Amino acid sequence: MKLNRFLLGAVGMGLLLASTSFSNAQDITIALSAEPSTLDPQAREDGAERAVSDNIYETLMQRLPDGELVPGLAAELPVQIDPTTWEFKLRDGITFHNGEAFNAHAVVASIQRVIDPAFNSEQLAYFGTISGAQAVDDLTVRITTTGPDPMLPSRMYWMKMLPASYVTDPAVAEVPVGTGPYKFVSWQRGSEIQLEANADYWGGKVCVQNATMRFVGEPGTRLSGLLAGELDLIVNLLPEFVSSVPKAVAVEGLETPVIILATDTGVTAIPEVRRALNLAIDREAIAESIFGGYADPAQGQLVNPAAFGFNKDLPFYEYDPEAARKLVEDAGATGKTITLLGQSGRWLKDREMLEAVAAYWGETGLTVNVEIEEWGQFLSRLFSKDVRPDSVLVVNSNELLDASRETTFAYQAGSGAASNSDAELAAWINEAVAEIDPEQRAALYAKITAYANERDYLVPLVNIEDIYGLSERLDWNPRRDAKLMIREMKLSGC
Amino acid sequence: MTKFLLHRLWQGFIVVIVVTTVVFVITRLVGNPVDMALPLSATDAQRAEFARQTGLDRPIFEQFVTFVGEAVSLQFGDSLWQRRPAMAIFWEVLPNTLILLLAGIGGAIVASLFLGIFAAVRPGGLLDRAVTTVALVGLSLPQFWVGLMLIMFFAVIMKVLPTSGMGGPAYLVMPALTLALPSLARLTMLVRSSMIDELNKQYVKTARVKGMSQSSILFRHALRNILVPFLTLCGWELTYGLAGFTVVVESVFAWPGLGYTAMQAIQRNDPFLLQAIVICISFIIVIFNIGLDVLFKLIDPRIKIG
Repeated sequence: MKLNRFLLGAVGMGLLLASTSFSNAQDITIALSAEPSTLDPQAREDGAERAVSDNIYETLMQRLPDGELVPGLAAELPVQIDPTTWEFKLRDGITFHNGEAFNAHAVVASIQRVIDPAFNSEQLAYFGTISGAQAVDDLTVRITTTGPDPMLPSRMYWMKMLPASYVTDPAVAEVPVGTGPYKFVSWQRGSEIQLEANADYWGGKVCVQNATMRFVGEPGTRLSGLLAGELDLIVNLLPEFVSSVPKAVAVEGLETPVIILATDTGVTAIPEVRRALNLAIDREAIAESIFGGYADPAQGQLVNPAAFGFNKDLPFYEYDPEAARKLVEDAGATGKTITLLGQSGRWLKDREMLEAVAAYWGETGLTVNVEIEEWGQFLSRLFSKDVRPDSVLVVNSNELLDASRETTFAYQAGSGAASNSDAELAAWINEAVAEIDPEQRAALYAKITAYANERDYLVPLVNIEDIYGLSERLDWNPRRDAKLMIREMKLSGC
Repeated sequence: MTKFLLHRLWQGFIVVIVVTTVVFVITRLVGNPVDMALPLSATDAQRAEFARQTGLDRPIFEQFVTFVGEAVSLQFGDSLWQRRPAMAIFWEVLPNTLILLLAGIGGAIVASLFLGIFAAVRPGGLLDRAVTTVALVGLSLPQFWVGLMLIMFFAVIMKVLPTSGMGGPAYLVMPALTLALPSLARLTMLVRSSMIDELNKQYVKTARVKGMSQSSILFRHALRNILVPFLTLCGWELTYGLAGFTVVVESVFAWPGLGYTAMQAIQRNDPFLLQAIVICISFIIVIFNIGLDVLFKLIDPRIKIG
């Protein structure tokens, strides 16, 4: 009797377990490394929120997987009708998931919402130049900017479009309604978000019909989920796990670790020493041994290789420890101390990079003092305008794929985390931000990056690749802009 | 009894006040919450507007007064991380951790009684040595590693349990087991050693001479006498779990509990959420401990309290 009951229990348990691992040929489960803080697509600067929203909402402009900017909800490329006004023609016949029509009013409402100072969107850094929008007719919108803004089309690749009736509804934080290939089904806080294919999608049929996005913070647990067959796609796969997964795919990413040097104070004020700090580092070795080959040495600049304004004529940094030591010696800096400020565990392999760089720099005869600070302290030192750290390692990320990001963050005196006081360089950067002609603008960025490269204001390290783990049945090429577009994923069942 | 209760409540009140103040000071001292809450790219104007909206631009004393007012009414404002009431998040994750504690620590409490008593019946015997060894292993292995090994074995190789997340009972098995292991070890060793002491006492010998059955001796008499130290440790295990030490298990198994949420609140520098969690938990722990004291008094009326 007792045995019977035990057997019954065991069978019941087995059935229960079997039901949990059941999966359909057109369903997919993706593991994100964090839970979205909100599903409002315009409020936060949050990668987990984007991973979900990118599949539900759409933008006027979009990028092809290789990074090329093309029309999305816009019918064609925008036309600049005067220096501060851009005109967008919209695609006809598109509806939101709630049945509302996508038209000029939706665009105007979406733009006004995100630029409203009272809304205080964290995305304002992307849209700060936009001053307003007017509907010309049902399918034509004019967007105005505070000054000439060559980047407006790329900005519109970042701004998600909401239904006009929905922009003031508080439900927008929890129930997203877009025009995209997937519709929101449910959000189980702390666990997962479910999406289903939008049968009426204007862009055509998709392979994946149902998608579950689970939040799994621990890299080892994500790996196990993939190995156990519960997951089809995991993000942020660690380089050391690549050999264990069924399939790993990688693409050049958006992140570049860089060391910013203080050009006015300490030993880094000597140009020869700054040159030595660049020469002393073996970037190939860092890419190979720290990132397992999933990184590429920086080409003489911080600007992302896929970004507008990347200077492809700059040489790669040489690795010449002998010359570095001689430069330090000739400058009379041997034995002097250089502080290297950084973080541990905030960015991928940050501590390992600090240790490697400290060792390389130590070879030049300098005494390297590595300081790892708590995030709050780190930030106040990173952004301090009075006392600049000799050198500080940060990881820059370029979501808009435009050199204006890197140049205003690390190159321009008095802005972001820049550590130089070069007024000439700063003026060029201001010029580039407002230059409308793409060729002129590219030439300006080439001048800026070459100039800073010559003076060694920065020590860019490597461009990091994004690595994803895939199940056998999933086929997907990761995108240059790191977006997780489920509609681009193919399962072997369809 | 009433005097005792009043006294303990007063003490508990002081504890909560101290905790509240310490939390407030710490969350304001380590860096500027505004800088930490916003992305690196935020402009000065955005930072100022954010500070104004969240009240973080007010003088620190004024903030403290508001904060105390909120704490008294158990309203802690909106979480900076999720932009919704911190208390809503707290009430969402608290049951998840309670389930985990109940299954894990509850299971450990029950199992440790049996294992400890059986080991104590014949000290040095085979069963005793087996139990002691397993307990030592349970204490020495890091939970993080145990969790990953369990996942490797039961989910990846055997494919009988889900790797992580929250769902049916199957999802609870591995997290509860991982959480239970060190507690089970500590509790078992306590039961075993106090039981051995007890069984060597004169009254047990008398009972045996009288011909009382082994189970009567063990469960009716000896067990009753070790109940106070045992329950004290049980209380400690539960308190320890509530105080956020489930964080390792919750992280490994992607279990959306209190410890994990508290850690996120720290990492994302969300002072409002952190305050809500710490204060509510300290409140619960204080009440829980008063309850335990009352229970002790009921079990053993000789206990002098106050």
